[in-house]
Amino acid sequence: MNSLMYDTYTIFWRELKRYKKSRSGVLIRLIQPAIWIIVIGNTFSGTQPLIQSVGFEGKYIEFMAPGVIILTAIFTSIFGGVNTLWDRRYGFMNKALTSPISRSSIALGKMGAISLISALQASLIVGIALAIGVSFPNPLMIAPIMAIVILFSMGFSGISVIVAATAKSQETFWGVINFLGMPLFMLSPALFPLELLPDWLATIAKLNPVTYTVLLVREMMTGVSEGGISAFLSIGIICVFVLVMVGLASYVFTREVNKPF
Amino acid sequence: MYSVETRSLSKLFGIVKAVDDISFAVESGEIFGFLGPNGAGKSTTIMILTTLLKPSIGQALVSGFDVMTQAKQVRQNIGYVQQESTVDEYLTGRENLILQARLNHIPKNQINKRIDEILELIELSDKQNDSVVTYSGGMRKRLDIAGGLLHHPKVLFLDEPTVGLDIQTRRKIWEYIKKIHKEFDMTIFLTTHYMEEADQLCDRIGIIDHGKIQIIDSPQNMKNAMGNEVISLLFENGNSVDFLSHLRQIEFIKKINEDNNKLTIFTSNGTEVIPKIFQISADLQVKIVSISLTQPTLDDVFISYTGREIRDADTGFNRKLEHAKMKRLRA
Repeated sequence: MNSLMYDTYTIFWRELKRYKKSRSGVLIRLIQPAIWIIVIGNTFSGTQPLIQSVGFEGKYIEFMAPGVIILTAIFTSIFGGVNTLWDRRYGFMNKALTSPISRSSIALGKMGAISLISALQASLIVGIALAIGVSFPNPLMIAPIMAIVILFSMGFSGISVIVAATAKSQETFWGVINFLGMPLFMLSPALFPLELLPDWLATIAKLNPVTYTVLLVREMMTGVSEGGISAFLSIGIICVFVLVMVGLASYVFTREVNKPF
Repeated sequence: MYSVETRSLSKLFGIVKAVDDISFAVESGEIFGFLGPNGAGKSTTIMILTTLLKPSIGQALVSGFDVMTQAKQVRQNIGYVQQESTVDEYLTGRENLILQARLNHIPKNQINKRIDEILELIELSDKQNDSVVTYSGGMRKRLDIAGGLLHHPKVLFLDEPTVGLDIQTRRKIWEYIKKIHKEFDMTIFLTTHYMEEADQLCDRIGIIDHGKIQIIDSPQNMKNAMGNEVISLLFENGNSVDFLSHLRQIEFIKKINEDNNKLTIFTSNGTEVIPKIFQISADLQVKIVSISLTQPTLDDVFISYTGREIRDADTGFNRKLEHAKMKRLRA
């Protein structure tokens, strides 16, 4: 157990070192969520009466800001596993596999690092939101929100690691990831209240872990809860999602890397 | 105990036998060269010995541990320096070694000491805090080798350690390999396509082709077994008939081909024959214009065991086999 922790930390340390050295990447990954919050946030500012009809008092941009924070987390973490493919192609993976560390620690270390990176990116989006005038009633909430983002990202990095370990090529990876990422974001109340979705869409959304994360973070940011879903239920669902994904990811990863690439 | 031992080892990819019933042993402390044409089964064997692939049939032991059932112990006792550079470009040299030390569970309080030692050995101390992206190919290779050595493994696998490096760098790498072999007294299992490299470094060489070991012996024995050295000689003046008949009486000379004033002499002991030739030419007042002695090289040995045919050649059957194998490897 102790050595699993140590090995996981070793990989985690390596991934963060690599992230730290890729400063341009940090900014590039912020462009898309920044466009979302600035452009979509203002484009739909006219929907304020609709938002208010479900009990939300603020501006539309304040309603959707938590959605964009989660968008950042989704895409940072679901793209994060791609370097698994590079590692397998360029020998780092073989180096790790012929050393005495456990296979699952490689997956766990990657996922840990991706989650932390995801939270860092998300916190930059919080900064942008504040800069363009989104109010934040309770600044003390920032730490627990980041904790939720880390937890949630852990689950999505699991998806990314599974796809990366199974895919044999970059093309397959990006194909599958793009197929997964956008729908998971769209099929949630990130941009529009759950109550105003058509029934069938709302039903699908309720199967989506992104939904509960968005609702939870929105409640933490604005104090408004929606759809009668309590914070505890949301936290419970996120935890189950994360546990399943982490377990599945380390299992699939271990199985796949034992096959020759 | 042998450092590396295989017993009837086979690896099948579908119908293709990449490794076909090979048994060999590498002595502890030996530098063993593992040679073979492309696609001969070298990489597959190395992947089995480093626990990256499981054997289909047979057994492989590394440092006394079974690669199938004791993979973890095998991994604790080997260093593996791959053909391509595996250092992280955006980390510094030292950070790369810290990573390697942690991967190999070197105790925390020894990590810095070991890294300092190894940096000294490979002469990278002054560049240790630069990003690897600024390193030359030779420096990267040295860092790769250092990483494989850090935990003082009992067996070090070096997969084509000098491929793509210039001659100066290659010789430098050879020096390092000799130095580390002496310093750490480890077994080195080396693959290469450069016969000169195998000749320089290896105590013994195994040649593999078509998945089978063709021969294992020391480079010197292999070359000796090839037999003939060749003396080429150009002369003028004198009586060639007389000269030839005298030459034929020299011990060790097996055959002489004559082409006007040019002789090609096949012998089993050229260095002793040449002075005798000069003696005779002086006696008969034949003037020797030029003389040269060529030894059989490991290239000749290699060709004699593996043939001249290029392995990637596009013959129908080969192509099908190769395709099946590559598909398996990727599946």
